[in-house]
Amino acid sequence: MGNCLKQPNADDISLLRGAENNQTDGTDSSLLGPPPPYQVSGPMYHPTPNISRPVAQLTEEEQVKIAKRIGLINQLPTGVFDGTRKAKECVICMGEFMVGDTVRYLPCMHTYHRECIDDWLMRAFTCPSCMEPVDAALLSTYNSL
Amino acid sequence: MALLKDPPSGVEIDMNKISSNLSEWIVDVTGAAGTNYEGETFQLQFKFGPRYPFDSPQVLFIGSNIPVHPHVYSNGHICLSILTDDWSPALSVQSVCLSIVSMLSSCKEKKRPPDNAFYVKTCSKNPKKTRWWYHGKF
Repeated sequence: MGNCLKQPNADDISLLRGAENNQTDGTDSSLLGPPPPYQVSGPMYHPTPNISRPVAQLTEEEQVKIAKRIGLINQLPTGVFDGTRKAKECVICMGEFMVGDTVRYLPCMHTYHRECIDDWLMRAFTCPSCMEPVDAALLSTYNSL
Repeated sequence: MALLKDPPSGVEIDMNKISSNLSEWIVDVTGAAGTNYEGETFQLQFKFGPRYPFDSPQVLFIGSNIPVHPHVYSNGHICLSILTDDWSPALSVQSVCLSIVSMLSSCKEKKRPPDNAFYVKTCSKNPKKTRWWYHGKF
């Protein structure tokens, strides 16, 4: 089997951004276009936090894991910072939230810039502040509904 | 720059050495009062890669005074899980320094790691390339 992840042009989190328009269900191949040329320097994926590999060097199992991860990240709520929340600073980039910034809320209620946290969640699926595993927290949120 | 204006006790940034190269910091840390390292001053070197804060910085002791501690090798490499496996992008230079001072403070007996001689002879220059085995919690 070949790659199940498409090769994006920018970086790994671009997959998240375009998720709405780029869903490939296997029937509509016109959206995909021609296969991308072989690239040595492409986006890097992190099957485990300390390992970086281009998509062509991922095992099938790692690709499935990363695809699932992207799906889970997309389930996490996002919002626009309006200044009413308690959080003042994104502890990843150490920049203050500005009104209009796109933020993502984790189940533990910690808030980050969407770009900052998505980049981290692709490496490790834990909250940087409380270390709570995000998938476990997501599941318990579902169970309590 | 809370670390510059209001540093926690025992942690001080060497501004002169940073100004030339922002990706390399030297931080002076002092052993906490009432511990085996009271009054001693050590220098920590931080090297930030292009993927910081998503990748941990490279942190090691440099200079003439390398603390004698079971988790610090004589070449300055530090065996501390937050510097590799347990890194979080929410950690700052300040919190890393405090963790290291705290690691020193909890030491009961000043001695080198048991495999110091072998490790120092065979390790990479970059401590992040070492596969650390972490024992116990700090």
